[in-house]
Amino acid sequence: MQLNLLPLRAVRSVRTCFAFTLLGTAILIASEHAQAQQSASVAISVKDHRFQPSQISAPANRAISIKVKNLDTAPMEFESVSLRVEKVIAPGSEGVVNVRALAPGRYEFFDDFHQEARGVLVVE
Amino acid sequence: MSVHSRCAVGRLFTVFQVIAATIFVSTFGVQAQDAGAFHELETKYIFGNFTVGSSTGIEGEKAFEPETEANFGKGGGHYAVAQTTLEYEFTPTQYMQIILGPTVSYYNIRGVPGLDDRNMAAVNGFEAEFRSVLIDRNPSPIAVTLSLEPEFHSRDETSGAKVVNYGLEAKLEADAELIKNRLFWGFNLLYEPETTRADLGQWQNETTFGISSALAYQIVPNIVVGADLWYLRHYNGAAFNSFTGDAVYLGPTFYWKIAPKVLMSAAWETQITGHEPGVSSTLDLTDFSRQRARLLLEFEL
Repeated sequence: MQLNLLPLRAVRSVRTCFAFTLLGTAILIASEHAQAQQSASVAISVKDHRFQPSQISAPANRAISIKVKNLDTAPMEFESVSLRVEKVIAPGSEGVVNVRALAPGRYEFFDDFHQEARGVLVVE
Repeated sequence: MSVHSRCAVGRLFTVFQVIAATIFVSTFGVQAQDAGAFHELETKYIFGNFTVGSSTGIEGEKAFEPETEANFGKGGGHYAVAQTTLEYEFTPTQYMQIILGPTVSYYNIRGVPGLDDRNMAAVNGFEAEFRSVLIDRNPSPIAVTLSLEPEFHSRDETSGAKVVNYGLEAKLEADAELIKNRLFWGFNLLYEPETTRADLGQWQNETTFGISSALAYQIVPNIVVGADLWYLRHYNGAAFNSFTGDAVYLGPTFYWKIAPKVLMSAAWETQITGHEPGVSSTLDLTDFSRQRARLLLEFEL
């Protein structure tokens, strides 16, 4: 019986790529964990499908923990493309969104279930 | 590439720059009145998906994405081949995205020189993709993501013949926001080595190298139109050993965020110039098709 195996060189290449990917993931997760330990905290609430306040501030280069309180009777989804986070929050409850350390700038966020609700995080 | 082809590519890049400048100037007229209507976009699919943007998604997001790539036209006869990847995409961290899925192919080939006639569909492989942020957009004006896509196919992508094929598509996916939330520029660099074992039992290596430039303009909220330009080179061997041909593709792109959890991305490109050593044609229809198209739908779960 003839065994037709993948060339050794190709196996090594694929294995090396996977190893690099896993190593990169581990480093990222470890660094995120370290940053989260010194995170800054910001609070915001949602009422009548509006963020209150619609602009919040946080320090640069520190992980940020955003506490979102949903005061409406419908669920909301806090979402941001540039922050790369989303979280569904049930009516009358509170959720925490953890954001990586950011460079100074303005980062938009919105309620994905009621897109008229929009706000901005100012990092400085 | 011949001198004629080089001139053509040079002219195309000039056309691209003129289009970008026109959009830039025209945008100033309307920007003040409707700036609030245009919001941030994930850039991954706004260039039609031959050129891929740098966005790696939102942490915790999961989506189902059927993605079809079709190729039409060879040196003669009738040639239509499509491959659909049924992708499951998830984003475990704010820096990384993973995509997995089986591929299903459809071949309709009649009277094409060098290819057997075939009219069939088959499940023919599996693909995975690992995307990781290399450079974030802020403070850098350009965001860059590394994408590694190992692939296995049990049928040849071009001919449909039974083979054993392994490949690794490595891509640098970069983009920049030229006008906030309106005009985007995308740039990809592709290196794709493959190894294939056909009927004779021997492994054969090949490589595709590519570079692209794309513009995408959010014309009304959630609808983006643009143009995509690709230059591709094909080699026998894993390390650019023997050049077999090159091609330039150009075509329009379209992106539509249909609903908060549903989007569509499409592109249709035509080979406008190409070269194959020893062949007098102005196209390379051996390594590449005359036309190619991509259609992706995303349903967030």
